[in-house]
Amino acid sequence: MIVQQIFNGLTLGMSYALIAVGYSMVFGILRLVNFSHGAIYAFGANIVLLLVSLELGILPAILLGILFTGILGIVIDKLALEPLRKQNAASITSLITTIGISNIITNLLIAFLGSQKKSFPTLFPDGSITILNFQITYTQLGMFVVSLLLLVALMLIVNKTTLGLAMRASETNIKAAKLMGVNVNFVISFTFFLGGVSAAIAGALISSYYSMAYPNMGYMSGLKAFSAAVLGGIGSLPGAIIGGLTVGISESLAATFFGSEFRDSVAFVILIIVLLIRPRGFFGKKEIKKL
Amino acid sequence: MKKYQKFALSLIAILLVIAMAGCQAKTTENESDSAPSNEEETTQETFRIAVAAPITGDNSEYGIGFNNAVKQMADEWNANGGINGMMIEVVTYDDKNSPEEAVAVANKIVNDGITAVIGHFSSGVSMAAAPIYVENQVVEISPSASHPDYSSIGEYIFRNNTVISHEAKAALDIAVNDLGKKNIGIVSIKTDWGVSTAEIVTGLIEDMADQGVVLTAHEEVIEGSDDYRPAITKLDEAGTEVVISVGMYNLLAPLAIQYKEINPDIELVGFSNSYSQELLSLGGEAVEGVAFPVIFFSESDQENIKTFVDSYNELYGSKPSALTAQAYDSAGIIFTAVEQVGADDPAALRDAVAELTYAGVTGTTKFDENRDVQKDFTKVIVKDGEFVLMNEN
Amino acid sequence: MKKLFSKFDFPKLPKNDKLKIVFLILALTFLIALPFFGFSNYWMNNLVKVGVYIVLALALNILVGYTGLVSLGQAGFVAIGAYTMTVLVKDYQVNFFVSVLIGGLIAAIFGVLLGLPSLRVRGTYLTLITLGFGEIIRTIIIVWEPVTSGPMGIRNIPTPSLFGLELSLSNGGLYYLVLALLILVVLFSHFLFRSKTGRAFRAIKVDEPASIMMGINTTYYKTLAFVLAAVISGLAGSIYAIQLGYIDQNTFTFDMSTLILSIVILGGMGTIRGMFIGAIILVLLPEVSRALMAYRFVLYGVILVIMMRFRPQGILGWKPKKPYHVTKNARMLFEQGHGELVKLNISNQE
Repeated sequence: MIVQQIFNGLTLGMSYALIAVGYSMVFGILRLVNFSHGAIYAFGANIVLLLVSLELGILPAILLGILFTGILGIVIDKLALEPLRKQNAASITSLITTIGISNIITNLLIAFLGSQKKSFPTLFPDGSITILNFQITYTQLGMFVVSLLLLVALMLIVNKTTLGLAMRASETNIKAAKLMGVNVNFVISFTFFLGGVSAAIAGALISSYYSMAYPNMGYMSGLKAFSAAVLGGIGSLPGAIIGGLTVGISESLAATFFGSEFRDSVAFVILIIVLLIRPRGFFGKKEIKKL
Repeated sequence: MKKYQKFALSLIAILLVIAMAGCQAKTTENESDSAPSNEEETTQETFRIAVAAPITGDNSEYGIGFNNAVKQMADEWNANGGINGMMIEVVTYDDKNSPEEAVAVANKIVNDGITAVIGHFSSGVSMAAAPIYVENQVVEISPSASHPDYSSIGEYIFRNNTVISHEAKAALDIAVNDLGKKNIGIVSIKTDWGVSTAEIVTGLIEDMADQGVVLTAHEEVIEGSDDYRPAITKLDEAGTEVVISVGMYNLLAPLAIQYKEINPDIELVGFSNSYSQELLSLGGEAVEGVAFPVIFFSESDQENIKTFVDSYNELYGSKPSALTAQAYDSAGIIFTAVEQVGADDPAALRDAVAELTYAGVTGTTKFDENRDVQKDFTKVIVKDGEFVLMNEN
Repeated sequence: MKKLFSKFDFPKLPKNDKLKIVFLILALTFLIALPFFGFSNYWMNNLVKVGVYIVLALALNILVGYTGLVSLGQAGFVAIGAYTMTVLVKDYQVNFFVSVLIGGLIAAIFGVLLGLPSLRVRGTYLTLITLGFGEIIRTIIIVWEPVTSGPMGIRNIPTPSLFGLELSLSNGGLYYLVLALLILVVLFSHFLFRSKTGRAFRAIKVDEPASIMMGINTTYYKTLAFVLAAVISGLAGSIYAIQLGYIDQNTFTFDMSTLILSIVILGGMGTIRGMFIGAIILVLLPEVSRALMAYRFVLYGVILVIMMRFRPQGILGWKPKKPYHVTKNARMLFEQGHGELVKLNISNQE
């Protein structure tokens, strides 16, 4: 049973990893933990659901949903965060702003769509393949594959393209990047766009895995994904994946040995332990605070 | 602006707000968010009934259902001339599913001079508000509260919802006798209802040990979770043949989907609060064959039920669930009681409610000495994507 | 030299002290006489609710307004206070006031636990830990059934009595209890602000690395801030429990923590009067205007965003007093609360 539970945890963890990737990316560039990432993820899933109900067909709905969510990311940056950056506001200000945004998005979704869980279409055919005595459904396989593709795509963008170079430059030293002619505002908006895109992909995949979506789905999953990102080393994309898998497996094992009612606390306990013992997680860079 | 001026202004602002609030306190406000059944005089010529439920936020689907049902009943009475000529007005209060808000709402209802309430929805919220109704002699009928201690809070508190022990028996009966399974697993949500019901089911299973009935595993989950796979694995490893899902449809549907992924032959039994269209839309094919006991069956051939279901569907675009039907009957009970004894004496109203026997869409309702109701259960199963009566084999 | 150090002193009390004191006395008299105005139970209940939230906001204010630590787990401390008092009074027949104090004590212990991570962790990370803390407390409530009755909740929470007189809602007793706590906490906050500890807090908020260099033991002070906020929240929690009469795990949610934060931000973090106006607006407004029902939580979020963008000091926040004429650039930095510490341009030209 343990092995099956570990396997359950792997898929669960994959869902956290997908969300964590978005956190890591935005933090990596901006040194900002985007508290509203969970809400954006929920927005992505619910927008796709809405579009599907408009009879658009599943694939167009997802693509459109991804686009809209990316745009939402840009809107958030332009409207709320960029003015704060211009003002050189304290980080407490940005933090509170992202808390507010999270609230706004989630509650607007509730107000317009209703808080109850709604059925989400499946993206992959039913059925499973058996490897070494274990059943892996096509959906789970699909999740693994898409997550890896997403990870690879993001890493390619960040490491191999000029735009990615600009992103990394901004991450290292924003003023210097500006001086070198990098359009920093564009880079930041693009980062938020990518964050939104990855959140929407996560939203579609995970909703199809559970066959349901609802406005508040971002709260718990967002927090757990944040723990995963921190565990893996916030700012590191592969770290987000490893962190996610670890949190997922831990949660599954906790459910096995202690009971399902303890599941949610596992992620928080992990978060606290990581932050106390090794704040940079697995793959994070050691931050030198210049005093 | 100088600092002290700002300070003075702020103090004045605070005092003004409080004074304003005080003025509003003197005049009884009449805030009807619903279009009142009759708009004219809010004088003694109308009987006002309050609906206190979550209209926004979590569980608002149920609150809106309650409101719809009570309005429907009120409109029907009004179409027939009201209660002895008195028109009925439904006043809606949103408790946002929060105990804190419920206390405020209860106080407001008392303040507004209303003597009968249909509500609240969830147990914790109802428990917080009930003492206020008791203290102020307001009759409260909850169509959904499930906390075992709810109706014993006071003589004005009534529960028009199934009694846990009877429903648990009925559910177990389906599992053992109708579906013929002996290895029973329980997945229950950790709420007052979930914990109490699971406890009763466990006890009943122990009583049936001589028949070979066995509890394979019991997993408690937090309400609102999405993923049940670790719990399912545990149940499956223990050889579970039938799962009793102690939760609402938002537990039963994902449980069915996820369980059937690893064991397509698993049987699932739910409770009457799973009975709603949402179960079908959320669960899809996976909930085929799921069964549960109900006291209200919307596909019934009975005349009054058919009329109720059809009108509800016409008015609100969906079929009523069991809880909604219970709200509908609860309103009917209040109106019948008022017809008997009038609306002026709260104590007499309470006595009338306590004593009458009401024939409604959820069967015959009569409150017992604990102000709970005993109902007969019908067994329902999902077949071909529809709810049908279970045939006894 | 004196001028350099005077930067650490926030606005001195203006000459119009007398006016201020007159207003305070008027307000106090008004508040004490309030129950005699014949308000209904409904409005007395609302006033008690406002009072509780003002106290909670004052507690969070110590963290956010004074020390710059955003905590999203205050509901956890409220729960600790509420449950401790309730269990002690109901199951062990301990006197109410003693139970409240013990509740505060236990909250303090958890405050220390929550403050410790601040040694290693800053900013957003710390905030997310506080969030996790709130959720862990909720899980504890659910699973520690022998003590908390888990999901069954605890009902029939008895009203306390003082010298044989029951302090309920109808006789105004509960209101006076809240008022007493409120006055105590207001006085405490007032003197804390002006004390050495308060200055340490404010220094940490304005510029933590500089404070460390000035020899301030930031870990100690940050933990202290958590403890103070925890104790005050716990005390308020006891009153909150009496007001509700029934508590379970759904009484103390993340929504409550967000509401308290919104009150602090809206009213003006760092000020005492801001807490009053913030609580009155956010707690009473929904009562007065039920039209906003569905969008109430959206409003909280909007308030946070708009306040941070346009007026981070809140409605009644302080504007630092400028002892000299300052340039436009410096003035802009002033507005964001970076204060007089480092950015002053002493030139007299524009």
